[in-house]
Amino acid sequence: MDQSKTKGYKKIKQWLKANGRKPFKFQEDAWQHYLNGYSGLVNAPTGFGKTFSLFLAVAIEALNASETSNKKAKDRLQLIWITPLRSLAKDIARAMRETLLELELDWHVGVRNGDTSQAEKVQQKKSMPEILLITPESLHLLLAQKGSSTLFKNLKCIVADEWHELLGSKRGVLVELAVSRIKGLQKLEKNQFLRVWGISATIGNIDEALDVLEPNEAEKRIIIKADLEKKIIIKSILPDDIETLPWAGHLGLKLAYKLLPIIEKSKTTLIFINTRGQSEMWYQHLLNIEPELAGRIAIHHGSIDFELRNWIEDALHTGQLKAVIATSSLDLGVDFKPVDTVVQVGSPKGVARFLQRAGRSGHSPHETSKIYFLPTHALELVEAAAIKEAAKTNNIESREPFIMVFDTLIQYLVTLAIGDGFDDKVIYQEVKNTHAFKLILPEEWAWVMQFITSGGDSLSAYNEFKKVTKDEDGLWKVKSRQLAMRHRLHIGTIVSDAMLKVKFISGGYIGMVEEYFVTRLKAGDNFRLAGRVLEFVQVKDMTVVVRVSKQKNAISPSWNGGRLPLSSNLGSVLRKKYNEALDKTHQDEELDVVYPLFLLQEKRSHVPRNDELLIELINNKEGFHLFAYPFEGRLVHEVLAALVAYRLSKLLPISFSIAMNDYGFELLSDIEIPMDESIAYEVFSPKNLTEDITLSINSTEMARRKFRDIACISGLVFQGYPGKYVANKHLQSSAGLFFNVFSDYDKHNLLLRQAYDEVFYQQLEEPRLAAALERIQNGAIIITNPKSFTPLSFPIKVDSLRENMSSEELEQRIARMKAESEKVR
Amino acid sequence: MTITSHGEELILDKERALFLPQHKLLAISDLHLGKSAHFRQAGVQVPATIAESDLHRLTILIEKYNPATLLINGDMFHHGLNTDIDEFALWRKKYHELNLLLVKGNHDRLSPADYSALNIDIHEPSFCLGPFCFIHDAPQCTEEELYPISGHIHPGVSIVGKAKQRLKFPCFYFGEEYAVLPAFSLFTGLYNIYPKKSERIFAVTPKNVVEV
Repeated sequence: MDQSKTKGYKKIKQWLKANGRKPFKFQEDAWQHYLNGYSGLVNAPTGFGKTFSLFLAVAIEALNASETSNKKAKDRLQLIWITPLRSLAKDIARAMRETLLELELDWHVGVRNGDTSQAEKVQQKKSMPEILLITPESLHLLLAQKGSSTLFKNLKCIVADEWHELLGSKRGVLVELAVSRIKGLQKLEKNQFLRVWGISATIGNIDEALDVLEPNEAEKRIIIKADLEKKIIIKSILPDDIETLPWAGHLGLKLAYKLLPIIEKSKTTLIFINTRGQSEMWYQHLLNIEPELAGRIAIHHGSIDFELRNWIEDALHTGQLKAVIATSSLDLGVDFKPVDTVVQVGSPKGVARFLQRAGRSGHSPHETSKIYFLPTHALELVEAAAIKEAAKTNNIESREPFIMVFDTLIQYLVTLAIGDGFDDKVIYQEVKNTHAFKLILPEEWAWVMQFITSGGDSLSAYNEFKKVTKDEDGLWKVKSRQLAMRHRLHIGTIVSDAMLKVKFISGGYIGMVEEYFVTRLKAGDNFRLAGRVLEFVQVKDMTVVVRVSKQKNAISPSWNGGRLPLSSNLGSVLRKKYNEALDKTHQDEELDVVYPLFLLQEKRSHVPRNDELLIELINNKEGFHLFAYPFEGRLVHEVLAALVAYRLSKLLPISFSIAMNDYGFELLSDIEIPMDESIAYEVFSPKNLTEDITLSINSTEMARRKFRDIACISGLVFQGYPGKYVANKHLQSSAGLFFNVFSDYDKHNLLLRQAYDEVFYQQLEEPRLAAALERIQNGAIIITNPKSFTPLSFPIKVDSLRENMSSEELEQRIARMKAESEKVR
Repeated sequence: MTITSHGEELILDKERALFLPQHKLLAISDLHLGKSAHFRQAGVQVPATIAESDLHRLTILIEKYNPATLLINGDMFHHGLNTDIDEFALWRKKYHELNLLLVKGNHDRLSPADYSALNIDIHEPSFCLGPFCFIHDAPQCTEEELYPISGHIHPGVSIVGKAKQRLKFPCFYFGEEYAVLPAFSLFTGLYNIYPKKSERIFAVTPKNVVEV
């Protein structure tokens, strides 16, 4: 059907025209394909009306249909719009409502997520709106309701908004499973009209992104790419002299003064900083160097109280704030019109993240996004040049979808069991048709069913286990109301650390800190949160009580999460930039500034080329150091360092301490390290990789850490909520304990296996490691013997000191080390 | 491992038990009988074999030391009666000559009739023997002359090695003010303690008990 002849299309065109707009080509393409029954993926830059490309498609179809909306109240649902963020839903709903009103389409738009009131949820259950905006978690909560299986009878479309965000997490699997169930329910009704669409930013594996959302190749599927270019200006904030920039460091405060004129001449500036602790320090520092900013800047991160964050976001909308210091907490979400400038402090470690942040400024179509990069140490200037190039060539990272996550599957099956119940044969087929579980074996499915019905081992003499049981109608259900209630509270796959709320003695919440941070505080200790210095008074009723401190300085909580590793895309561009810097075959001003450092590196040792692995052997008071620079990111280096250490220790008895950063790693020993070219090729060999990794790292300890999330998601451990006591104290236990008892008593537990798989494929990134070793084997290995630390080795040395020291001590120590290093120059 | 405390010889066993040879008394704490069954009833998949294994370890200890008295220093029963407790009742019949004392802990809430059916002598809040006062939670001890030996917190100790290696073990704690026994049940977590210099910590490793 050619849409241009339909009345719906004509009406939309008219409406757009009345508003002085006309549709982009990709929007018209999406509408046409939607009408023709396609599922698919829309890929367009932010700010070009991605929402309208699908929302209006559904509207056109509705306008085309003859006026027979005499449906029962329950059967109204037409469109489910999945968003990863609650805050997005509010904004999109507003835009949709306005549009529907102007189109005179009598549809309701409902929002359903953690912020939706109970009354509204009850109302929705009685009478579903035509359009429902929902998070993946709330969609599962909907499936956990009695009677929910009848809600989707007339559903036409499911849209997964910001699909690239969901794709690389277990939340993506939640979406896959929910879609599989809704499709199954429609099949039961013999309905054929459901289409599944995603909206995604550009990612390296966009085809796979579609495959995950709609795995059925027999369906009509398409990817619609907008042929539009978002203009981005990337500019580095350069030091006047390379000596101003430290060789190592992570704060970047030295260049802070250069931000002041940028803030001044911009309308509103977002300043992105990689960790929460550092953002607190930056906030303080900006106020110190420019007291005029008081009251005109704010700080926004995940540990700041919800109300306070809301206030900041509102103030951003209305343009009351000159600048906001933020962490990834503002990466996503609604757009703040007044924001015209973004600053990234320190390496963003990935191209996609950098572009996403840049896109937070100049949001409207045809406006230009402007982002400044502020380096925190000298070599980061090379990263800046690399990012610019990667952005230009659209060399953007992939988001790896999760597969075979049994924890999520177990949660999903119990979710269905507390809803209308399920038939295991039907659900097995549905699950097997998802991307995440297409490789599931019948015996694995049987294990999962046994786990939720008989508690794992059906052979035990006393089987008092109660969870999912078969009902008279042949469906698997949860009978206990208590169990059902507890499960509902734990639907979702985001597991956070135990957090405590922070509150003033006089009342008023400030934010949250990790429980383990609080256990180390004594009354009278000071810490920093939300830009304030607070004095710890006591912990009462699971709340940290504080008062305003008179101190100027204090420690920041070392929130976990912390440092992201360099992506492999960025790593490879970075290696190329190292070639160009020394040869001066480039146009990058960053590389000009950093040139003296390269000369020094070349003089003392060597600047590694694209196809070279540089190994530096340095011998000093501390002992014998080996530095190697594969440029593969800190996680890969952590494993690689352990692997090389293990293989060296097979040559002679030797033990090492290990340090690493995103560029390379260090092995330090008290005896001379055996190393020459042939040994190097041997210890950096991809042969026997899996076996040697297992022997060289403490994979059990790493798996134990991974198991924490798995235990929460699969319902073994109950998290509780921040600031609330865990109910049912006698049912409390820890993930570590389950890890131990499963390891001892239930070795074939699939959740245990999942923990090890997650370690090998996500944390250790074994495929990436193998590729790196392959690359090293096919290139040259250069071994040098510098007399003192080099510009490349110095930052690694500093990083290794960071572990157990406060930042001030560290700064002093760095200064001393650099002085020592310069003496030998 | 054998140590001396307050003039008495104490044997610390790697099965998380304390033996006092002079009194022929075997002391354990935090047995949490019925915990795994209680979890399973609530739909949490704890391996069912774990309770058997606790009882089996207890049997080995009884055979090894042949005590006249078994003292359980609180939290013998996790919650209520269930199949795990039935198993224990059978075990008790087999060792009916053993004198079984329970110093009550916060979890022990069975009825007096249930305790007497299992032939358990209840002591509340403590049981004193020589220089020691056995009590579930040490800070609640009022016997100022005596050295409290307690349980309750499930003490554990972390041993930190190079290159971010970290190992955690259950432990015996002998401080200046009081001592704490490790939790006997394998289905218990660990509460990390950070000892002062003058205090003695004995880590329970899979092979033996070592002072750290």
